[in-house]
Amino acid sequence: MYHAYILKELRHHRHRTLVNILGIAVGIALFVSINAVSTAYQEAVSLPFKNLGADLVVQRAEKRAVNSSQAGPSMRGIRLPFSNQLLSSDDLDKLRIFPGIDAMAGSLLLWNFDRGGFRTIMGVDMSQPSLGPVHIKEWLAKGRFPEKKGEVVLEKHYAKFNNTQLGDPFTIGSRSFSVVGLLEIREGAQIASTNIYLPLADAQDLMGNESKIVNLVYLRLQNPSRLNQTKTEIMQSMPGISVASSDAILEVMGGVSRISDQFSLVVSLVALAGAIFLIIKTMLGNLVERSREIGILKAVGWTGGDVQKQLMGEVFLQSAVGGIVGVAAGYLISYLLGYLAIPVTTPWEVNLLPAFAKEAGAAAQTIRLPVSFSVGLTAAALALSLLAGGLASYFMGRRMAKMKPADILRRL
Amino acid sequence: MNNKSDILVGIDLAKTYGELAVVKGVSLAIREGEFVSLVGKSGCGKTTLLSILSGLEHPTRGQAFLNGKEITGASEDELALFRRENVGFIFQSFNLIPTLSAWENVALPLFPIQMSEAERRRRATELLDQMELAHRLEHLPAALSGGEKQRVAIARALINHPKIVFADEPTGNLDTATGDAIMAILNGLHRKQGMTILMVTHESELAKTADRVLHMQDGEVLS
Ligand SMILES: Nc1ncnc2c1ncn2[C@@H]1O[C@H](COP(=O)(O)OP(=O)(O)O)[C@@H](O)[C@H]1O
Ligand SMILES: [Mg+2]
Repeated sequence: MYHAYILKELRHHRHRTLVNILGIAVGIALFVSINAVSTAYQEAVSLPFKNLGADLVVQRAEKRAVNSSQAGPSMRGIRLPFSNQLLSSDDLDKLRIFPGIDAMAGSLLLWNFDRGGFRTIMGVDMSQPSLGPVHIKEWLAKGRFPEKKGEVVLEKHYAKFNNTQLGDPFTIGSRSFSVVGLLEIREGAQIASTNIYLPLADAQDLMGNESKIVNLVYLRLQNPSRLNQTKTEIMQSMPGISVASSDAILEVMGGVSRISDQFSLVVSLVALAGAIFLIIKTMLGNLVERSREIGILKAVGWTGGDVQKQLMGEVFLQSAVGGIVGVAAGYLISYLLGYLAIPVTTPWEVNLLPAFAKEAGAAAQTIRLPVSFSVGLTAAALALSLLAGGLASYFMGRRMAKMKPADILRRL
Repeated sequence: MNNKSDILVGIDLAKTYGELAVVKGVSLAIREGEFVSLVGKSGCGKTTLLSILSGLEHPTRGQAFLNGKEITGASEDELALFRRENVGFIFQSFNLIPTLSAWENVALPLFPIQMSEAERRRRATELLDQMELAHRLEHLPAALSGGEKQRVAIARALINHPKIVFADEPTGNLDTATGDAIMAILNGLHRKQGMTILMVTHESELAKTADRVLHMQDGEVLS
């Protein structure tokens, strides 16, 4: 293989070289962007559950609560959301020893209707350091999380709307609290975002119930790949219980989010295969144009293997450059798409807000596509571009072998 | 045929393309150091015979021996290696690689051989110098005149120190004066370096300069 010859050949036929490189780059860019965006979608959809550190969220809905929109402000005081009725201590005991469960935390979600309007309250189990709403400690903008009864954290916008600041007293029902922290809702907060956060025991007091009641249970699995099995097992053994995972969000969303990782892999491979097919066709066409050159090489004593090496050098250089350009372009496209905020719809059963409370927390309803660089995807893309080069070399070798050196004697 | 001084021997060589018999039972022998010309009308089968004798093509029938080795029946790669070691070619249409410079075209047969770049360049430069093209080393073929192209091609034919040079209408694409200059170079190679040359031409005037003239007509060599 003669490197200068490869470079001269490619440079001399700039147009040809550019078409080949672009062809591979387009195929690889499609492959990378489809996969990166699809992964980002899965990632976006799983963000709400990740924010809680939970794989599954367990709750018991009121029987008639399939559509909660008929509810109106006629219901005064503090009450349980329709989809979050109390879980019995039987339920909790069962869950605690359910096979495959790594950790469990409970919380008590309350709705409060009064003259001041409507607000949501989350009773947080502070004993679990990383599961359930306590997980969103890192969203604190000011102050700290409640450490003892009588302390609350308010969502920042809600606090502002109510002219409440850090250290102010705060009243819920007939009880008085002090504000110890302000919290800023971040992306994907749908199933964690309420107006008020306080210790679980306080929430239980607000319900006028001394026993340890909860209406939301967060589960972390020992083996997240068994998510769907565990989900079904729980629902089968505990009638009336609903178990949600990020799939619930996936199901109510349309478009690209529905496309599974495997499907997007197949689609992108088909796109890439199409691109590679076209490139091989043009490369074979180029080769026919070069039959005289190949005849000369053979006539002056190059073996088939010598010519093949030369062609492979050209092809691999082009596919490597095409692959690198394609990976760069693919990520560029993906990151540009990442600037788009996608709407993430929260299915009613895990939505903490009543259906009529539209405006509250609307900011958290969109998620920017969390596109990220993947070593695996990059390596796969580069390997595929080289594979394309290998395929092209193979077919070119077969075509080249048929070119006879004697033919050049009769060319003028 | 095993006569030591016979460097090229053909026995009853024939070539047919489908129904068309192009070479019809040719036998001949060329001695080492001989300059032989093969003359005949256009289309009588000269190029076909030359490509068989030089190992570019297989005959339909017969045997050819070059430098003591039977080349009929050898595989394509064997023939390529054999040509690389023993044969030089000069074509009517020069057949230079358009993307490579003059010296790289001369060194082309050396590329597949393990050799330093400097050594390749040195050998190519030396030959181009002999062809009075020392000032054209880096030129692309497109920037050379017809005569210069053919001189580059002659240098390429000599770079592997061949036992025999095959020339197919080497002046066919050149004007008379340039053609004469090329013929002078070939004659010089023969006389000063003892190079064995088989030259194909359809011009009997050119053929006369050779030691021996073979006449070809309708696929057969007459004398
Ligand atoms: N590959 C081929 N297939 C069919 N016919 C061929 C082929 N090569 C040469 N011929 C025919 O063989 C005849 C002799 O060709 P060639 O050897 O090139 O003659 P010359 O060199 O004497 O002009 C011509 O009629 C030509 O058309
Ligand atoms: Mg001819």
